[in-house]
Amino acid sequence: MGLVRYLQHWLSGIGPALQVTDFVPQSDPIRQWADTFPWNALVDAIAQSFATRFPKTSTRGRRPVPVRVLLALEVLKHALGASDEDICRQLRTDFAVMYAAGLREYRRNPSQDHFVLPTTLCEFRGRIDEALMDELIAIQAAAAMEAELVSPAHLVVDTFPCEQGSQRVTDATTLYKAQKKP
Amino acid sequence: MRSFGRSCRGQGKVFVTLVRHTEQQLLEVGKDLTTLGQQAQMCLENTTTLSETQRERLREDLTTAMRHHEHIRQQSTHLTHGKKLRHCKVVNAYDPTIAPILKGKSNCPAQFGRKPGIISEPATGFIVANLTPQGNPSDASYVLPLIDKVGQATARVHHGPKRSIHSLAGDLGVNDPVVRQALHERHILSVGIPKTVEPIKPDPSAEEIRDILNEANLHRKRTPYQVQLACASGYSRPVVESHIATLLARGAGTVRYKGLEGAVVQQGMTVMSSNGAVLVRIRQRKMTKRAQKFRRLLGLKYPKVSKIN
Repeated sequence: MGLVRYLQHWLSGIGPALQVTDFVPQSDPIRQWADTFPWNALVDAIAQSFATRFPKTSTRGRRPVPVRVLLALEVLKHALGASDEDICRQLRTDFAVMYAAGLREYRRNPSQDHFVLPTTLCEFRGRIDEALMDELIAIQAAAAMEAELVSPAHLVVDTFPCEQGSQRVTDATTLYKAQKKP
Repeated sequence: MRSFGRSCRGQGKVFVTLVRHTEQQLLEVGKDLTTLGQQAQMCLENTTTLSETQRERLREDLTTAMRHHEHIRQQSTHLTHGKKLRHCKVVNAYDPTIAPILKGKSNCPAQFGRKPGIISEPATGFIVANLTPQGNPSDASYVLPLIDKVGQATARVHHGPKRSIHSLAGDLGVNDPVVRQALHERHILSVGIPKTVEPIKPDPSAEEIRDILNEANLHRKRTPYQVQLACASGYSRPVVESHIATLLARGAGTVRYKGLEGAVVQQGMTVMSSNGAVLVRIRQRKMTKRAQKFRRLLGLKYPKVSKIN
């Protein structure tokens, strides 16, 4: 009996996938927020920038976490005021966060696509430079203008001060620094 | 916000004599640091137990520390001799790009940190572009780079009418003749930028509109209707404070990522998340009466769900 229970995934398969959209109503704030972003254009811009600046030298290794997931987590992190660890943990358990990250199916024995480590998020962030960041904001603004939601006709400019806070010393940052050091 | 300097307002006190005395002692202690640093560098070169990668990393760390020390020592000496603070005074030994904010409210301690700039739509609060520069330059220097960024965004719009900036509003910090001239050359009205502390007139007369167009030399470039909207936009310029408050509520007030690059990424991501929330509000038509009226005057359509994706 114990052996059958141990092998039940092999015998019965992993079963049908759960549709994430079934669990996230249209009125959900995170879903509505996520639907405003032109994800395809944003992901294309990032992929193009990364391919130029960080060319792949080998095709070996584990399949990378999709850029769409990482970008959504990074933006959502600021929308929710969460830390790297919090947002990565929510991605495992919260269907709304999965929806925002572009994951539409959830399997009990998943292909690890939605398992993102905080260090991965930290590394992704480190690859974003000023030009790419400006491009991402420009893409978002252009999409909003094209949909005639906003107009650049009359604008207002201002500055605000912000202080340099201490970087949070978390397990993720410590591990990232340790890995970077030879 | 951390700050230093004369504290005429607030509860903070700065013991100048104590600071100067301690500073002298520290300068005396650190006098030999340059020599010691050079000796350490020589020792590092002669060490055989380290790998080349480790040696390179240590060499880089040592050089950075020496450079920062030299900079801090130099400015401390200047301060002790009673000279005026330079623009790029180091206030954080780990990040020399942080500088004091020179302009601000009078008789207040000088703030230091970063000073991001935003350019936003006054009606809805959508931030079209942002800029996080190195150091803390004057407010006027933000205008043209931000306008360029908006131009990059409008160039990406391929459908519908051609988008262009008609007017720009700002506070007295942006009031600079060179900036005004540059805006006029780009066919942008600068009537929203005040010249005095007096508020801008929201409903100018026909003569005043003609004067504004003549002054900007944009007679056939901008219409009187656009001038009216520009004046209304300039009159309600303080609404930008609410846009900034929205960003601050999302953690933009404290930069938690390292260095200037980190600040750029954090501010950019905050702007993107804030813009997402603004678009949700527009789609749900949860806007103020003023914003709704402004959208009507600009001829913006009613939002259609799932239009972007």
